[in-house]
Amino acid sequence: MGLVVATKMIEIRNLKKYFPLKGGFFNSKQADVKAVEKVNFDIPEGEILGLVGESGSGKTTLGRSIIRLIEPSEGEILYNNENILNFKEKDMRSLRKDFQIIFQDPYASLDPRKKIFDIIAQGLKIHTGLNKQEISNKVKSIIKEVGLQEEHLNRYPHEFSGGQRQRIGIARALVLEPKFIIADEPVSALDVTIQAQILKLILDLKEKYSLTILFISHDLSVINQIADRVMVMYLGHIVEVASTKQLFSNPKHPYTKSLIATAPQIFRKNENKIVLKGDIPSPINPPSGCVFRTRCPHASPDGKEAKIEMGLIEVEPGHWVDRCGANCS
Amino acid sequence: MKNDTLLSVKNLKTHFSVGNSVVKAVDGISFDLEPGKTFAIVGESGSGKSITALSIMGLLPNNLESVDRGKILFNNQDLLTLDEKEMRKIRGNSVSMIFQEPMTSLNPVYDLSFQISEAIMLHQNKNKQEARKIAIDMLDLVGIPEPQKRIDAFPHELSGGMRQRAMIAMALSCNPKILIADEPTTALDVTIQAQIIELMRDLQKKLGMAIIFITHDLGVVAEISDTVMVMYLGNTMEIANTNKIFSNPKHPYTKSLIEIAPQISEHKREIKVLKGEIPSPMNPPSGCVFRTRCPHASPDGKEAKIEMGLIEVEPGHWVDRCGVGCGN
Repeated sequence: MGLVVATKMIEIRNLKKYFPLKGGFFNSKQADVKAVEKVNFDIPEGEILGLVGESGSGKTTLGRSIIRLIEPSEGEILYNNENILNFKEKDMRSLRKDFQIIFQDPYASLDPRKKIFDIIAQGLKIHTGLNKQEISNKVKSIIKEVGLQEEHLNRYPHEFSGGQRQRIGIARALVLEPKFIIADEPVSALDVTIQAQILKLILDLKEKYSLTILFISHDLSVINQIADRVMVMYLGHIVEVASTKQLFSNPKHPYTKSLIATAPQIFRKNENKIVLKGDIPSPINPPSGCVFRTRCPHASPDGKEAKIEMGLIEVEPGHWVDRCGANCS
Repeated sequence: MKNDTLLSVKNLKTHFSVGNSVVKAVDGISFDLEPGKTFAIVGESGSGKSITALSIMGLLPNNLESVDRGKILFNNQDLLTLDEKEMRKIRGNSVSMIFQEPMTSLNPVYDLSFQISEAIMLHQNKNKQEARKIAIDMLDLVGIPEPQKRIDAFPHELSGGMRQRAMIAMALSCNPKILIADEPTTALDVTIQAQIIELMRDLQKKLGMAIIFITHDLGVVAEISDTVMVMYLGNTMEIANTNKIFSNPKHPYTKSLIEIAPQISEHKREIKVLKGEIPSPMNPPSGCVFRTRCPHASPDGKEAKIEMGLIEVEPGHWVDRCGVGCGN
């Protein structure tokens, strides 16, 4: 394709999600869980964008907000130059065909009372005007694509292993021929050998169906294998974005550095690794200024980081780092 | 058995009867644990690694098949021959265990003081006040801030990392010779996992206990262990010194595990896979149990006739007979 600028699949502008915490007198609002704080990013067509962070970083909330499984509090999500947050339920429904999601837990995400055929066919029945025969053909063809057989369609979810269930989850998402997929920790619940099989399947299908994928994971090694570009999230903020190569060879933010240095590796002895102290703070009451300062190994004793506002700056082409983290080490 | 062996497992078999069939969860494994060292058991779900640990602890369900179970030798006695009363003197005292999920393995209705003191009072003949004092010292040792205050906390008031620290405090409170850790960092975030691994290493240096560390993560194995045993379907595929197993793996299963483990250091987009899934332990393949997934399995199926059994290929490096020469 040469130097053609990739068109954007999705643009996220100032997306914010607060969950109100209610309780007390008249069930009034007590506080907000600040899950996602005004994030901005684009996903070009055909890209696998990795989103990495610890539990509580807001990565799942962000993923689900993009396809409005969770209603964002503020911001814009542009798809084909339209803000889908303004869409009515009816318009959203036709959009859901283009946006699909693969979940982490293949045990919880398949209805135990339905046969595999019905699980995969349900989306087609709702979103397309296809007749029975056409639906059946599509289901039979997709089940082979994900490495299972036609005879599996008459079985129930409990008859399958975790890896097979994840294949069924992928078939259910792909049968609608979506353009954009959110894969929310799709391999975290699987054994290592099965994890490799599923990652390979996702990569193969991505090429075949020219998919754009937001791949959410807590595991940097998995992200390194599959993503073109990586976003690192901490406490609702994106603290670093770069191409996979840039991020792993030249991490800038102390949080990213520590994540990379502490990930257990077979062929690297971590003698002087930077182990972060403490836990991720509560998103109800995040630190002022730089949200990472309470765990940052470079935090200054005078606490000046409490006054540095969060915000990404570009340190090299395509490599963005939070202001405080870009300068601190 | 060498003189300095702390625990010696000899041909351990743990078979369960389920309905009309037999599940051979652990089918004849042997290994020695040296004092102060870390022995890692690595394998996929269903490989029998947790059942090995529970067999040592004597914490198995009662649908055991009566077969010759082998021996687990500790302090000149065979743990498999002890009755429940004698086993209770060892469990939580000289051999203790921590689990994967600290939320489900701590009792939610008791505070930490009660739960940690319980073991101390039971095994060390201390009264309540003394036990509480030891419990506070233990919390301090495992790096829980403000232990005098946190001792009265309930499990739900602690984060996942703090709960795992509390579990470790409880397990170490009677100064065990052996700590069995069953996937202790799997449920934790990466930064917390790094904290717990660092803590376990420090505590081992300070207290000198031997650790049996069960995990599915080869990266963690490389960080923490001295010796590794690779298990598959209730059998041992390979045992070696940790450096050896990564620099010179012999069994095709070990080789595959190393090859497919996602790494940060390389930017290869090609993903290697091992085909198929681990077969059901109710109906394991005959002969070499790995043959159904082995990349080197021969078309004539001769591996079905090769009995499982370890061979020493170099000092301290044991490989299953079938896997020894098959890739070369």
